[in-house]
Amino acid sequence: MSSQAELDKVIRSEYEAGFTTLVESDTLPPGLSEDVIRFISAKKGEPEWLLEWRLEAYRKWREMPEPEWAHLHYPKVDYDAISYYSAPKSMEDRPKSLDEVDPELLDTYKKLGIPLHEQEMLAGVAVDAVFDSVSIGTTFKEKLAEAGVIFCSISEAVQEHPELVRKYLGSVVPKSDNFFAGLNSAVFTDGSFVYIPKGVRCPMELSTYFRINEANTGQFERTLIVADEGSYVSYLEGCTAPQRDENQLHAAVVELVALPGAEIKYSTVQNWYPGDENGKGGIYNFVTKRGVAHDNAKISWTQVETGSAITWKYPSVVLRGDNSVGEFYSVALTRHAQQADTGTKMIHLGKNTRSTIVSKGISAGKSSNAYRGLVRMGPRAENARNFTQCDSLLLGDRCGAHTFPYIESKHPSATVEHEATTSKVSDDQLFLCRQRGIDPEKAISMIVNGFCKEVFKELPMEFAVEAGKLLEVSLEGAVG
Amino acid sequence: MSLPSKQQGLELKTLAVENARRSEAGDALTPLRGDSLNALEAAVFPDRKTEQWKYTSLHPLTDGHLRTAADGALPEPLPNLAAHRLVMSNGRLQENLSQLPEGVTLHRRAGQRDELLTPFALYNGAALTDAITLEVAANTEVSAPLHLLLHAASDTPAHCQTRVEVLLNPGSKLTLIEHYIGQGPVLNNAVTVIEARDNASLTHYRLQSEREDTLHISTLLFRQTGVSRIDSYQLMGGNRLRRNDVRALLEKSGAELNMQGVFVARGQSHIDNQLCVEHRVPHCTSNQVFKGLAGEKGKAILNGRIHIHEGAMGTLAELSNKNLLLSPGAEIYTKPELEIYNDDVKCAHGATVGQLDAAQQFYLQSRGIALAEAKRMLSLGFVNELILALPDESVARWVQPWLAGELSQYPGANEEAA
Repeated sequence: MSSQAELDKVIRSEYEAGFTTLVESDTLPPGLSEDVIRFISAKKGEPEWLLEWRLEAYRKWREMPEPEWAHLHYPKVDYDAISYYSAPKSMEDRPKSLDEVDPELLDTYKKLGIPLHEQEMLAGVAVDAVFDSVSIGTTFKEKLAEAGVIFCSISEAVQEHPELVRKYLGSVVPKSDNFFAGLNSAVFTDGSFVYIPKGVRCPMELSTYFRINEANTGQFERTLIVADEGSYVSYLEGCTAPQRDENQLHAAVVELVALPGAEIKYSTVQNWYPGDENGKGGIYNFVTKRGVAHDNAKISWTQVETGSAITWKYPSVVLRGDNSVGEFYSVALTRHAQQADTGTKMIHLGKNTRSTIVSKGISAGKSSNAYRGLVRMGPRAENARNFTQCDSLLLGDRCGAHTFPYIESKHPSATVEHEATTSKVSDDQLFLCRQRGIDPEKAISMIVNGFCKEVFKELPMEFAVEAGKLLEVSLEGAVG
Repeated sequence: MSLPSKQQGLELKTLAVENARRSEAGDALTPLRGDSLNALEAAVFPDRKTEQWKYTSLHPLTDGHLRTAADGALPEPLPNLAAHRLVMSNGRLQENLSQLPEGVTLHRRAGQRDELLTPFALYNGAALTDAITLEVAANTEVSAPLHLLLHAASDTPAHCQTRVEVLLNPGSKLTLIEHYIGQGPVLNNAVTVIEARDNASLTHYRLQSEREDTLHISTLLFRQTGVSRIDSYQLMGGNRLRRNDVRALLEKSGAELNMQGVFVARGQSHIDNQLCVEHRVPHCTSNQVFKGLAGEKGKAILNGRIHIHEGAMGTLAELSNKNLLLSPGAEIYTKPELEIYNDDVKCAHGATVGQLDAAQQFYLQSRGIALAEAKRMLSLGFVNELILALPDESVARWVQPWLAGELSQYPGANEEAA
């Protein structure tokens, strides 16, 4: 035993020595330990409480098993093979111009109608003093400041608004909530922070897109949105253009706090690299998204998911306050070897709470698409109401579509409804379109767009147009 | 003494294995006991972390339930729903009380099946004291229904293993009433296997009307190995622990399955239904309608899974589960699942949980009907469409008063205040 203890001491002391040199460097060697977390925290100049918080999360995460219940099959992730901190890619490493970028990617950009300079940015081309975005950035920052809205990176918020971050960080998704949230809490590198003061209606739609070139947000993104009493904010995450990313594992956490009377609308379009036809090299997306709605508050999740090799994502709403409202609108499209296990949780705790779930799953190729949802009516949820509809559309005879809706009711005055259907594209509809001279591919894309209409209409205008196009592009070659 | 929850699964298994070793040896069932025992030793008993047992605890089982029940006293008079009756009491066939209709033969045997590898089905196989296999001859229409009365009774905690297998040969037709009765703290762990071959037709009733103090765990397996039709009507009353695993395999194109059910969990009762319909081949049809009621501290659970295998094109499958939650403290859990690996299918499921309509209650009250009576009438109305659809009059005549009794005993139904 004593020799073991000595050995441990030697190992530790060596690491301490190594530790100081590490601070100088920009990239950590692969592996995760308490020292790595200390390094990340020190690098960001975080206060002591946050370091403690991270360490506690790490210790709990160590004891958690990786969840296996999802309808997903993927090789186990080696968490010790990942580097948990790396500085953004330097200009020299990036492609010098669009000519060096994968032509297939450019083709997709063209189809989506993305302006040239945005293409450069998305493909990670080294452009300094990024075109218009600087000026856009400044004007929108001024406007937000006028309204008193705080919109910055979470590292900035830790420095400048520690009282807000400390109060709300982990209040919705506790640090040991689940395996991936635990990992995120321990090692998150950056993300967005939004605070809307009392009674303020945010003058514009906030988007990560504005911040895209500010920093490499990395694979462990953490977003915290707090809407104070009576305020309103609409937040857009991601963009329709496919994004290359060198990180295969993404474990993000998004926390929303809607204080009494507030409303948060959170829209996501996710189109990360899904891998090749066999799903090789695609991104694993393990995200924990949750919001708490206090009295009379409303939280609405809208998502369009077309990317990633593996999607594990359940944006949820805890309807804590009386008369609060939760909404979830989702379109998930999988093709080739993509696998998605996605859905929502609506936890009704307060009286007169209402929730609506509309989920549309489209699977093509040999992909697998599962809806997994939970609607829980707690013992205090008087007159709570839920309506759920989840429809699946199958394109091809080798894909899978699954539905796992959990319904739990503990209050006699609560009402829950769930409906689900699964079918292929109707031959009659297809025939009708073709009869009118529309080619099959276009016809299918029209029918699919119609199938998703209910969700698209919930998206902000520009997003909705883009999402329609995105679906069209994604379906190309998936039919027939 | 109740088994400690963490160790529950483990201890239950050890005791089950010991128990199986003790059971009588040296008859036609010995190979089945041996095979089941071997498989049981490797099996994992469920605990609360097992997904399919998420809402059901094995807590009501005590180590007393690992004692084989002695012969139980049969009630007088025995319920009589049909011209022909077979009686099994505490898992043993009562020959003096049984008559077979023409065209049906009986064997005292049962076989091992790959589809029955769940711990409780294995436990059944390992600890069997008796088993019957009924075979309906080919091209025979059995005119009158066959009433299979499965009785379990004991004054002290004990278990009994009931095993019934039914084989419908090509072109045969049968109406079978699988009727469970019993009283006392006895666990009836039952396995029923029904196989229908080409052009066979079965009308199946499953009535579970044991007293409230009993425990019931059962596995029902339908195999449609031929182009056949099965209509199954399942009516369940509440008791301390009721767990029904129903699995239906559609294995030949053209097979059709209809399942309807009503479950009423009142008082402290607990009903857990786990349904799984597997479409293994193209062009089969399945349709399921289940209605549940939970009142007082009752807990009702339904997990309805439809699994469409790869290549099973032209499948039509539907499931509907509507539930009424009648009083605070009662709980309903429902999960209609779809698992689909083919695009040429039409599948739909729906589930609702709600309460009695206040306007309807008011309407009845305004016409001079007491609230308690109004509630009972509306609850009965909620399930009545399924009761009215019962094709056999003799069964319907028995079911109506029984169900009315189950519903009127809601303590909530007697409250005068809304």
